[in-house]
Amino acid sequence: MIKKDLSSNLKRLSEITDWFENQEEIDVEEGLEKVKEAAALIKSSKERLKVVENEFEEIKKSVDVDKTSDEK
Amino acid sequence: METPNEVIFSISEFIELLNIGLKRSKAKIIGEVSEVSFGPTGHVYFSLKDENPSTSSGQGGAMIKCICWKSKYFLFGIKLEEGLKIIASGYPEIYSMSGRLSFIAETIEYAGEGTLQKEYEKLKKKLADEGLFAKERKREIPEYVRKVGIITSKQGAVLADFLTNLGKYGFKIKLIDSRVEGQGAVEDLISAVKTFKNQDIEVLVIMRGGGSLESMMAFNNELLVREIVNFPVPVIAAIGHDKDEPLITLAADLAVSTPSIAATTLTEPWRRVDLLVETALKVSFQKLDNIIQSGKISLGNSWKDLVLGFNSLLSKINLKLENSGKMIYSNNPERQLKLGYSIARCGGKIVKKISDIKIGDNIDLKVSDGTIIAETINLKP
Repeated sequence: MIKKDLSSNLKRLSEITDWFENQEEIDVEEGLEKVKEAAALIKSSKERLKVVENEFEEIKKSVDVDKTSDEK
Repeated sequence: METPNEVIFSISEFIELLNIGLKRSKAKIIGEVSEVSFGPTGHVYFSLKDENPSTSSGQGGAMIKCICWKSKYFLFGIKLEEGLKIIASGYPEIYSMSGRLSFIAETIEYAGEGTLQKEYEKLKKKLADEGLFAKERKREIPEYVRKVGIITSKQGAVLADFLTNLGKYGFKIKLIDSRVEGQGAVEDLISAVKTFKNQDIEVLVIMRGGGSLESMMAFNNELLVREIVNFPVPVIAAIGHDKDEPLITLAADLAVSTPSIAATTLTEPWRRVDLLVETALKVSFQKLDNIIQSGKISLGNSWKDLVLGFNSLLSKINLKLENSGKMIYSNNPERQLKLGYSIARCGGKIVKKISDIKIGDNIDLKVSDGTIIAETINLKP
């Protein structure tokens, strides 16, 4: 299940990759479902990561502005 | 209407009337003491006569009867004796019981610089021999004094000089105005010291400007010196003088030459405290500034670490997503089937070894676009 929460998504992704690594008999249908879920998780996580990166850049800019005005 | 001349007085009324007028005739008279006698009540009776028998009026040997009340006599520390030359201040009065005129001496003092000097030296020695001027007797002027008693004349620059130099340290000043000149000052000074004995003060300051030995005689009074020595709190004497130190200066716990030095003595500890506080404030501000600057540097470093850490975290997440993507891609069953691999199942179970099936079993072969159903014809190891 895809959540907006990045860490939950990453955790779920880890579970899926672990599942693939540990599965002795791959259930094609289930494997396919996992692949689809993982693909969606990756897409959602990348989008969320982008948003986080942008927010972080904004915060960095505001902190840099504060520092500059302090130095003046 | 009755005119004054028509009023008839009794003797006592008339003498009383005369005495009212005579009391206005205050004067200072100089003469030699004679016929000294002490009454049973302690009052002193004596005569004063001209030293030189010939007077301006041509009548030689002029003399006047004098009385000095006991309460006054003991103030001045002068022992009246035959031949002593003195100055008496007072007024004439007629004793109603005898009709005799006497001079009521309110103050008496030695006449002539030589006598004054001699008596000053004599008293100085006597009091010094008693140890009243000894350094060991002197008390420290307490630091951080707040309540100050002052005895001086409200007239003149002395008080203003003292108060100007006292600054704004919140002193609580109690002042007793006193005459400081001549023998008449003795009574004022002793009374002021006695009053201050019962007042809540931490130090007593007695002040006057400079003057001759004669004008300073009040400050050489034995009773006053003893009052100063026995005063309950330390005494500062700020009495200007040239050669002969007034005896209360010797008796005081601290003697200074001017009112401004007396004031500075009291303000100095407070000034030092002010300086300490000011310095402590400066140091505190500097320390606070250092802390703020150090905090800024620390914050800056923390921020840099935070940025680095977060960037590293983002990189890790990105890498994990990339790796997960690759892993999922490589494990995608559809991809395997499209590459030509198929999955064989027999009875729903995946066939991994030839022992999983036997000849004649049906096998479902899953391929990329469907399932092939095949029969096992042969098994080759």
